[in-house]
Amino acid sequence: MNLKRRLSLTRAGIIESLQFRLSMLIIFVGNLLYLIVIYFLWKAIYASSGQEVVNGMTFSDTLIYLVLASAIFNFIEMYTVWEMGRAIQSGNMVLNLLKPMEYRKYLFWSFSGTFVTQFFFTFLPTFIIVAIVTNGAIQFGFNLLYFVISIVMAIVINYNIDFFVGTICLYTESIWGINIMKQVLVLLLSGATVPIAFFPETFKKIVYCLPFQSIYNAPLSLLLGKDMPVSEAMTTLGIQLLWCVVMMILSRLFWKSSLKQITVNGG
Amino acid sequence: MKKRGLGFYLRIYRKILAQDLKSKMSYRADFIISTIGMICTNISGFVGFWVMFRNFPSINGWSYYEMLFLYGFSLVSITPVQCLFDNNWALRGQVYSGDFIKYCFRPINMFFYYQSEVFDIKGLGQLAFGIGTIAYSWNKIGLEFSFIACFKLVVFLITASLVMIALQNAAAATCFWIQNSYYVLELTFRFKDYSKYPITIFNKAFRFIFTFIFPIAFIAYYPSLVILRPDAIPVLTWISPFIGIIFFYISYRIWMYGASKYTGTGS
Repeated sequence: MNLKRRLSLTRAGIIESLQFRLSMLIIFVGNLLYLIVIYFLWKAIYASSGQEVVNGMTFSDTLIYLVLASAIFNFIEMYTVWEMGRAIQSGNMVLNLLKPMEYRKYLFWSFSGTFVTQFFFTFLPTFIIVAIVTNGAIQFGFNLLYFVISIVMAIVINYNIDFFVGTICLYTESIWGINIMKQVLVLLLSGATVPIAFFPETFKKIVYCLPFQSIYNAPLSLLLGKDMPVSEAMTTLGIQLLWCVVMMILSRLFWKSSLKQITVNGG
Repeated sequence: MKKRGLGFYLRIYRKILAQDLKSKMSYRADFIISTIGMICTNISGFVGFWVMFRNFPSINGWSYYEMLFLYGFSLVSITPVQCLFDNNWALRGQVYSGDFIKYCFRPINMFFYYQSEVFDIKGLGQLAFGIGTIAYSWNKIGLEFSFIACFKLVVFLITASLVMIALQNAAAATCFWIQNSYYVLELTFRFKDYSKYPITIFNKAFRFIFTFIFPIAFIAYYPSLVILRPDAIPVLTWISPFIGIIFFYISYRIWMYGASKYTGTGS
């Protein structure tokens, strides 16, 4: 019963996002341009370095990493902060609070339809093309299983970070600034723009203590790791699980305590 | 309607600007947070750049400081679009809701009035950051400093900024014809990130595409050569100011044509 209720939100989301076919085409062109730029950029970087392997990554490793990072971004970015910020500013938040489902869950499940369409329309095609083009750089074994588990946790961590940041909007009523700060910090510190392997040593150590690397770096290193020992994979997944739990508790507590002092613009 | 002079428009602009700043100042917290957000964006952009290139002395014949100069140049040349033409982002919503009709009844140029309504003051931080980067790398490369060089730099920066403005105007104007023009704006807005790499990293085909079809190279690469490579300035650099002006004019016509077709929503 409970699951059925949630899945009906998923279904509505799928139908809604299929409405915008032209936008999908434009997004596709945009992503294609991005891929072209990073391909030539990193090709030039590797050509100038004169080495096959830089910071433990070959050119094709780096490329797969960055291409899949952007594919993951497209499908896990939910613009939660925008959604919450707008609901707070317009006063519609009141309607959301009246719903017979906790707002944090409602928002997540109503976005889940987009996960499904984006997964099949952007991530999967990208993944297949990358696997074919690089011809064997992606192993097909247990790493795929690790990757799937890892990506689910990445979605949860990302959502809870977003929800936490969105809750801050209750106090500041500023959306743009909060959202942009979150976005650039997450993209940089999660290794989505430049692989974490390229970071200087001390910087790397700090980044590994933060939750952000669990969003992009963890699933991608699990996928690309050649013959990764089981213990290492388990450590990565364990750290992710830890951050999942921590972020879920934090975002829940913060939301609960913030609700007590919420002021809603008369909507 | 009689033609109004430049003085008239400057006077009006000053008045509208003052109103806009006053209304922004009334949301002080939002203003401060947005400014911090903008600074974060610039810092993380720079950190990403530094992490990517610090390992390599040169990319494709471009030294680190020359790359940095190009980076600073692109930051400055995209500042005007950020500061003066930010209202383009709101065009879609205004057209959709029908609020746009109010601009059709004013006895002044519609395009001018629409764009002058918003001045995005937080872009000024980016300007300072960009100028600092240019000055620093100028010094490090050991380029000759003269009045003429400065004059050239300013002229080429201004005309280069027109390219980005033109792209955003045209992209925003698509909302007069298609529903979800946000993605078109987002697509062209991402060009600013690609403009900071030298066009020589691409192969012949894409060099052509990024020069003549998606004119990314005119945002920073070609105009910056006037300072960086004073001994061998290509023809495309000399014509880049005219390209900027022509592009701006075309985008203005597209925008006005779309606006003249606007019939309102009937409410």
